[in-house]
Amino acid sequence: MAVKDVKPTRSELQALQKRIKLSKNGHKLLKMKRDGLIMEFFKILDKARNVREELDKAYEDAVLASNLASAVEGSIALKSASFSVNVVPSIELKNTNIMGVVVPEIRGSDVHKQLHTRGYGVVGTNAYIDEAADTYEILVEKIIVAAELETTMKRLLDDIEKTKRRVNALEFKVIPELEESVSFIKLRLEEMERESLSSLKKIKGKSA
Amino acid sequence: MELSVIGNSDFVTGFRLAGIRKIYDTESIELDEAVRSALEDDSVGILIMHNDDVNILPESLKRALNDSVQPTVVTLGGGGDSSSNLREKIKQAVGVDLWK
Repeated sequence: MAVKDVKPTRSELQALQKRIKLSKNGHKLLKMKRDGLIMEFFKILDKARNVREELDKAYEDAVLASNLASAVEGSIALKSASFSVNVVPSIELKNTNIMGVVVPEIRGSDVHKQLHTRGYGVVGTNAYIDEAADTYEILVEKIIVAAELETTMKRLLDDIEKTKRRVNALEFKVIPELEESVSFIKLRLEEMERESLSSLKKIKGKSA
Repeated sequence: MELSVIGNSDFVTGFRLAGIRKIYDTESIELDEAVRSALEDDSVGILIMHNDDVNILPESLKRALNDSVQPTVVTLGGGGDSSSNLREKIKQAVGVDLWK
């Protein structure tokens, strides 16, 4: 609100003072929310970093095992075995709330399977394919954990940024402008009072 | 919900071996098209891609992948560049590079 748009009246002054009080309360609450979100973010930061390292390691292991299986058994045999796997891993998404930010809780099921439940024949394949399947199942498990943590981090970071912007807007734009308007109204009212006083004195002087 | 994988046949074979069935092999479907359909599919909860594939996508799709929460995109491989988006986001939001 620009100062020139303000009407210099007492009711406007009261309304502005109410708005300032409300803005200061909101600013305090948003600052607390921002700090809380940053603390939550720090809680999961280390976990997410470790999971990312584990994930990269699991991917390297999985690629190595898959290449080995492909070299020993042939890529056609590996593909054929992969097409016969019939237990599909699924995930369940639940929402949890961290300081007003909805974050997912992801649970995987049927990810790690027993050798006989995979679907391909044990006789027609060798241990290298089993090893590759095993490492990829471990990788998928890590992916599920990483997905949960990284999504949580993304959402927390989005909200931290949003809250930070609001806090800054209130602190550096809204509240100073409102305070400026209040001081303008106060000065204007004082001036009007002085004007009326001097005109009263003049009238009094003429009538005497 | 399901997991989905986009990539070349070498990349997707291993995931097929782990039982994932929603697979987009980029040798039979265009990468952009595969990404678009995976993003629009409500049954996909996690989307797995290789970093090299993400890097060759147009900027708008890359941004859509980075911002997507459902499906959550997990990128693998590509010389340790997997967490760079998250790193950028942290720098932008907190102001300090905490992902060191």
